[in-house]
Amino acid sequence: MQFRLFFRKEMLEMGRSYKWLWVPLVFLMLGVMQPIVTRFMPEILKSAGNMPKGMTISIEPPSGAEVLAQTLGQYSSVGLLILVLSFMTIISGERQSGVSQMIFSKPVSYGSYTAAKWASMLSLITVSFALGYAGAWYYTVQMIGSVDAGAAVKAGLFYLLWLWFAGSLTLFMSSLINPAAGIAFVSLGAALLLSMASGWLPRYTAWSPGSLPQISAEWLQSSGEAKGAAGAAVLCLVCMAILFTGTIYQVKLKKSKI
Amino acid sequence: MTRPLLQVKGLTKRFKEREVVKGISFSVAEGSCAALLGPNGAGKTTTISMLAGLLQPSGGSIELLVNGSPVPDRRPYIGYLPQTPVFYPWMTGKEFLLYAGELAGLKSREAALETAEWLEDVGLKDAGKRKIGGYSGGMKQRLGLAQALIHRPKLLILDEPVSALDPSGRKDVLSLLQRIRQETTVLFSTHVLHDAEEICDEILMIREGEIALAGSLDHIRRTYSEPVIRLEVGGDEASRAWLAAVGSKDFVSQAETSGGRAKLTVTDVELASLALMADAVAHRVMIRSLEAGQSTLEDLFLKVVQS
Amino acid sequence: MMDTMNTSIPWGLIAPLIVLQLILAVVGLISLYKAEATRGPKWLWVIIILCGNILGSVAYFIIGRKDAS
Repeated sequence: MQFRLFFRKEMLEMGRSYKWLWVPLVFLMLGVMQPIVTRFMPEILKSAGNMPKGMTISIEPPSGAEVLAQTLGQYSSVGLLILVLSFMTIISGERQSGVSQMIFSKPVSYGSYTAAKWASMLSLITVSFALGYAGAWYYTVQMIGSVDAGAAVKAGLFYLLWLWFAGSLTLFMSSLINPAAGIAFVSLGAALLLSMASGWLPRYTAWSPGSLPQISAEWLQSSGEAKGAAGAAVLCLVCMAILFTGTIYQVKLKKSKI
Repeated sequence: MTRPLLQVKGLTKRFKEREVVKGISFSVAEGSCAALLGPNGAGKTTTISMLAGLLQPSGGSIELLVNGSPVPDRRPYIGYLPQTPVFYPWMTGKEFLLYAGELAGLKSREAALETAEWLEDVGLKDAGKRKIGGYSGGMKQRLGLAQALIHRPKLLILDEPVSALDPSGRKDVLSLLQRIRQETTVLFSTHVLHDAEEICDEILMIREGEIALAGSLDHIRRTYSEPVIRLEVGGDEASRAWLAAVGSKDFVSQAETSGGRAKLTVTDVELASLALMADAVAHRVMIRSLEAGQSTLEDLFLKVVQS
Repeated sequence: MMDTMNTSIPWGLIAPLIVLQLILAVVGLISLYKAEATRGPKWLWVIIILCGNILGSVAYFIIGRKDAS
């Protein structure tokens, strides 16, 4: 019952701060841009000039699946940055401003409070990514070439899981420390390290949540099963559950800044 | 109505090495109004935060007794107003009260009724439709009072409710408190004695994390007030000399002299004033004014704080 | 050169992107207009939103808004 109350407040806040408008919009634009840029890359290079006479540019036209994978790459950098930055103060902000003192002196459940923040964040992430990915897919099909539907859906779901993980990590950091810059730095750094580690040490990080973006890309580009996908998905969900529990504990521990 | 509502025993708070609250014990009777009085940095806010459940005590116990027995979770029975209440600036006053009411466990219909009533009571009926981001300090304080009271708590806990307000805001909030205390037990912290005297009947003086003096205002006034004579004489040499000499008379227990004025703490006001006047006449000293009375709480407060 | 490109540019697909960008900038400006307080002067944010493309608006929403949380 309290969850609904908290959730309604979070949704209202995200609406009034225009988050429900600008985050999906930016994700959609990010998704659409990659196929457009790829399609016109030869023309752009040509018009940039400075090419020695007689030299012809021969760029192998990428396949639809490749372009979609590149779009996911965009979300891994700019998309992730936007998500972390827009959610970094989701808990610490209320503690810093002092409004949490009034909330937590009331008979509220820390679980509901945290769950509402978590759920509202995941729903914004899901809607934004789904919209952007669908846009990217549509534009890719229109401008580049067809993409295997099954692979695209699977890749999208695994990638969404990765974004959920990054969001849960940000939420936890926000409950743990106060400075916004610190929260963003640690969350982004950890996400970046995790995904880079699975590139360097694939043997040891086969099931790490950081391998999820890689798994998505593999799925798109090779028709075969990606290795360790199920394990990575399960482990990611487990990590999210642990982060969520840790967040509840931190919220209860640090009710106010005094 | 002397049943205790709040019972605090050996309450302690340590931050790292520093002990900010040093095992204080007190109780607040049902229906009373108690002031936690002390200078800045005495540990008032820390104590209040522990009472409101925002801060985990390092030691000791806090019990809220409802119908004579302690409750496991005291949050449903208390209303709390922080020192500088902060709200969601994007909400309207009305929305925040509704939200606070429902968080406190009211059904949405009850919350709507209480919201309308409290907005009216704290004088924010029209402002309630506007965003809190545009409220003044006094309006926020009044909205803070309304959110603390919306679920009709048994105990209202306020942290320095009027310190940050301008005189007119201060008067508004004090007269509101005056009304609230008819129905609710109130505990508030302040560093201004005058605010405590205006609405409270119990006083807990706190200094460096310890209770220095506690009791009902009347009792303290009676027990600690001493007969005092305030004397003013002319500015001439002879009068000044006489005034300085008066301090050593045997009926004067303490004397503070500055310029042509003196404050004498005496054993008996009547005897002392008669003796003083006779002595003045004998020395041909003109007394400009002589006021016999009692030492004020202010004197006591300063003594407690400074000792 | 524009002529040669025009023939191959699928305007039906590119126009929506431009519209999205416009919407984002307009939402940013509306939010800026309504905001009680911003970090940094408002006129500076107007310039950033108008000239900074997507990033300008995003920067405003993330850094410029004060009452977001």
